[in-house]
Amino acid sequence: MLLPAFALHQPTSVDGAVALAARLAPDFDWVAGGTDLLPNYKQRLNARPHVVSLARVAELRDLSTSRIGALVRLRDLERDPAIRATFPALADAASQIASTTLRESGTVGGNLCLDNRCYYFNQSELWRDAKGGCLKVAGPICLVVPTQKENICWAAYSGDLAPVLQVLGASVGIAGPDGRRTVPLVEFFQPDGIRRNVLARGELLTHVEIPETAKAYRAGYRKLRQRDTIDFPILGVAAAVHLEGDTVRDVRVSLTAVDTIPVWIDLADERDKRMSLAWIERIAARVLERVQPVKNVSLRPGYRRKMAAVLTRRLLVALTT
Amino acid sequence: MKEPRSPASGFNIVGKRTPLVDALPKAAGTAVYVDDIKLPGMLVARVLRSPHAHARIRAIDTSKAEALPGVRAVVTGAEAPTKFGVLPLSKDETAMAVDRARFVGHEVAAVAADDEEIADAALRLIAVDYEVLPAFVEPEQAVKPVPPEHKIHDYTKFPDNTHRLVQHAFGDLDGAFRSAAATADGRFKMAGLSHAFTEPHAVLAHFEPTGRLTVWSCQQVPHYLHRALAEVLGMPMHRIRVIKPTVGGGFGGKSDPFPHEILVAMLSRKCGRPVKLRLDREEVYFVHRGRHPTKTKLAIAADADGKLTGMDLDVVIDGGAFGSFGIISSYYNGVLSQAPYRFETFRYNGRRVYTNKPPSGAMRGHGAVNTRFALETLLDELAEKLGLDPVELRRRNLIPPNSTTINGFRITSNGIAQCIDECTRRSGWAERRGKLPYGRGLGIGCGFYISGSALPIHWTKLPQSTVHLKIDMDGGITLHTGASEIGQGSDTMAAQMVAEVLGVPIDMVRVVAVDTDLSPVDLGSYSSRVTFMNGNAAIEAASKIRDKLGRAAEILLAQRTKYGVPREYLDFADGWIYARTNPELRVSYMEALTLALENNGALVAKGVYQSPPLEVATHKGAAAGLSPTYSFSAYVADVEVDPDTGYVRVHKIWAAHDCGRSLNPIAVEGQIEGSIHMGLGQALMEELRFNKGQPLEPNLLDYRTLSAKQMPEVEVIVVETNDPEGPFGAKEVGEGPLAPVIPAVANAIYDAVGVRLRELPMTPDRVLEAIDQKRDKPALAHAAE
Ligand SMILES: Cc1cc2nc3c(=O)[nH]c(=O)nc-3n(C[C@H](O)[C@H](O)[C@H](O)COP(=O)(O)OP(=O)(O)OC[C@H]3O[C@@H](n4cnc5c(N)ncnc54)[C@H](O)[C@@H]3O)c2cc1C
Repeated sequence: MLLPAFALHQPTSVDGAVALAARLAPDFDWVAGGTDLLPNYKQRLNARPHVVSLARVAELRDLSTSRIGALVRLRDLERDPAIRATFPALADAASQIASTTLRESGTVGGNLCLDNRCYYFNQSELWRDAKGGCLKVAGPICLVVPTQKENICWAAYSGDLAPVLQVLGASVGIAGPDGRRTVPLVEFFQPDGIRRNVLARGELLTHVEIPETAKAYRAGYRKLRQRDTIDFPILGVAAAVHLEGDTVRDVRVSLTAVDTIPVWIDLADERDKRMSLAWIERIAARVLERVQPVKNVSLRPGYRRKMAAVLTRRLLVALTT
Repeated sequence: MKEPRSPASGFNIVGKRTPLVDALPKAAGTAVYVDDIKLPGMLVARVLRSPHAHARIRAIDTSKAEALPGVRAVVTGAEAPTKFGVLPLSKDETAMAVDRARFVGHEVAAVAADDEEIADAALRLIAVDYEVLPAFVEPEQAVKPVPPEHKIHDYTKFPDNTHRLVQHAFGDLDGAFRSAAATADGRFKMAGLSHAFTEPHAVLAHFEPTGRLTVWSCQQVPHYLHRALAEVLGMPMHRIRVIKPTVGGGFGGKSDPFPHEILVAMLSRKCGRPVKLRLDREEVYFVHRGRHPTKTKLAIAADADGKLTGMDLDVVIDGGAFGSFGIISSYYNGVLSQAPYRFETFRYNGRRVYTNKPPSGAMRGHGAVNTRFALETLLDELAEKLGLDPVELRRRNLIPPNSTTINGFRITSNGIAQCIDECTRRSGWAERRGKLPYGRGLGIGCGFYISGSALPIHWTKLPQSTVHLKIDMDGGITLHTGASEIGQGSDTMAAQMVAEVLGVPIDMVRVVAVDTDLSPVDLGSYSSRVTFMNGNAAIEAASKIRDKLGRAAEILLAQRTKYGVPREYLDFADGWIYARTNPELRVSYMEALTLALENNGALVAKGVYQSPPLEVATHKGAAAGLSPTYSFSAYVADVEVDPDTGYVRVHKIWAAHDCGRSLNPIAVEGQIEGSIHMGLGQALMEELRFNKGQPLEPNLLDYRTLSAKQMPEVEVIVVETNDPEGPFGAKEVGEGPLAPVIPAVANAIYDAVGVRLRELPMTPDRVLEAIDQKRDKPALAHAAE
């Protein structure tokens, strides 16, 4: 399969990249490691005539426990001693993404902005044509839920880092023609497989900020997939708990690969509770209630839903003992 | 034969751990695959494929594509309507769809252009007028009568889309079931599989101004491609040369003559330039020919002594759009199911149906794997009903060496009893099975397989395998063989045979394999036939050379010693020819060769293999499954099941396999480990899912083969029976070792969590569903009270 022809641009600063993007919008895509974009381009999935590479923008490479640049490679994140010591869940989630070689190229920004995935979307042109097209590639309807009232795209958000960063309370930095802003990661994603997130065309994600308060939490990540390598998550659960003795001051749970965005479970009423198995069961039940996977990646939706509760339970048990 | 005087010191190279002769070039990246070959003026081909599962092609307009600058040739099916297929009995394929597209991905037209971009652009300019027809994608649909104009193939005699019916019956089956002390039965469903070889298909064709056509292709069976090219292109075979370069795996997926091979030759003939086609992975899923999806109904019966008395088998085989090897698959699903056990009665109904999906075909363990899963599962259930240990039930029913099966197979060497003994002893079966904590279990599975189909696919009396040897004054031995090295090690095996017989180091043998201008015909790498047949041919050829060298050595020794040493008393080893009784009396290989070449020139010799006549039974299809010998295996699996998620982790496999003599332990272990890797993929995760006939996951990320991380420890136990007719006693190890691992895992899952799976693969969701049903059942029964 050939890559479609495109012009490659390589700015060296965030301001340069933003200026370039303003000129090219909407006919361009950002590329960082390219491990997601280029396979999609080969399959002619919304390829654009211009590609702006962030690889030479040095200011996107910061790496500390409070600030992670968009261009930090997953392999560096996973091996960074400070990250491993402070936020082991983050290093652990990073280490479970794709494969070692892909993590040498794949970046944190690319992972958060990963395009959504679906049986009907991640296919060749011939394949999609044979189905009459998929909504996410300018087709008439979403083939996952062809009978829905609103015609929205159900492609699954399948990044591994987002749920972990969400439970750590992270925010993302955004730069664009209108300047820079910071958005809490729980508000970054937009529930629509096409829209995906709040980035406007011409905006880029510059970095992730992890607040000092995150250090008070114990966090973890459980990933479900058929092989212990290479596979995207068919389900991922991240959780963080802030314990004081056996009192849970705060608990946060977020899941990936079960919806068009990471699913943040609202657990405000489960704060300041005494840690107990019953408490864990309640939270697992909340997850079960909230999660509604559709049939667009492997293994049956009903099974993935059940597993959301099982993994949540297992993770919370591990985090509280 | 097959053991010309073994040297006093034992073997030279047989039985020694011998690195494969092509390992270094592969590791160093110097091995040449089709896609590495570049010819001056070479063009690139791309194929236009049908977006419809079933459609009539009303018209194809290629004029715009032809007019595109850089396009050198466009071909369509109408230009080559001659039908072909690997089996003469079901020639139902054409180079491209002629008037009917039969599956999504079916070849409709092809373009040769200066580069891939132009070829791609040209495909978009080809206008095809389709009339969409009802598609038959499930076997259930395919067995309903349809109007003749909607049949997928109209040549069959059936009113529906049945391709082949096989019906076998031996003995009083109904009586056996009536008088049985225990029976077990079940309906099973096995998913279709892709071979998932590493190298996607690639082919290069060059039609030269002389009118000769050369085709380089990654083929397991170049000989049948040679025939098909001649037939479809209307050329005499001698004008066609087929070359098989290094092949990156086949597993049965490169053993049909393929439409894409023929259409590339057509393109080259049309424009007179070399044309190369390299398929994408998605296209590999369209070409397909993988394991047939099957739905199997099986019942078995035993008497009170645990003697197996009946086997009633019904299999529906989803063939996809073409015949391929399907007729053989239809037989193999039945006839390869009984051994290593003796069943007193047997009935088999097999039905292969055409569906509008990519064609299924032959895949490692062809025809024997799916039924084996069903049978070995039911044997466990039957044992439980009889109150017997599953191993004990199996032991009571083993066919002995030198016997005949109920359907007429001649069994000679047979190490199944030893295989069972070894794998159960080493796994601690008696102490551990049934006694491990919940979630952990042991299971057993056995199997057998043909060691080369005794009958050729094309009914001729030509030898099934021929080897030529040539030795000139440099001393190197050129071995010409048509046996197709596809990674399984046939080049190494052939070189080993010759090096053994002539007592020279293996690096003196250079193998020239499969160039139809140079190599004698071999039927190809399928049915686990190559070591047995080509190995014997190589030994025969080498033995003739050995005679000539022996004669020369005899003369030299007569000159040097008082009494001389007669030829019969000479041994060949380590580059020397010496007197068996007195190794001091010796001449070097080179000295003997030099004399043998004098006034004579290069030594040449030929060896052939032809299976002995085996047919004793006379029922229809009696020849299917006949083989000069059979391999046997028994495995024990140790697995852990997570009862909350349904995940199965295989900890260890004890794999005992009877391969006659192990010619090269490295290769034997590699084949067994590779088979287990592949079998575990089928057991746990490999599944071709379809959406309205379209492969849903035509890529290696979503179509999951087992990763290295899931590979369990494997203890290979080689049981050597020394087959009376095998080359130095060897028989197959390429396919038989796959089947047993699947039921071994399934039976271990039962031991671990008490559930029986009837569907492959045993994915976590299916395992969990079975566990949940078992949990719910007692509860429901209680509620009903
Ligand atoms: C075989 C395979 C397996 C994989 N398995 C996993 C897995 O298990 N888990 C997982 O999470 N991912 C997986 N991936 C996806 C991918 O490799 C990773 O998500 C990786 O982190 C993507 O980063 P990248 O830099 O390569 O992204 P790119 O491909 O460069 O970009 C991805 C998307 O993000 C956009 N983008 C990139 N950077 C920015 C930015 N700074 N601002 C705004 N937009 C941006 C791009 O325009 C593009 O749309 C897999 C990929 C492959 C090919």
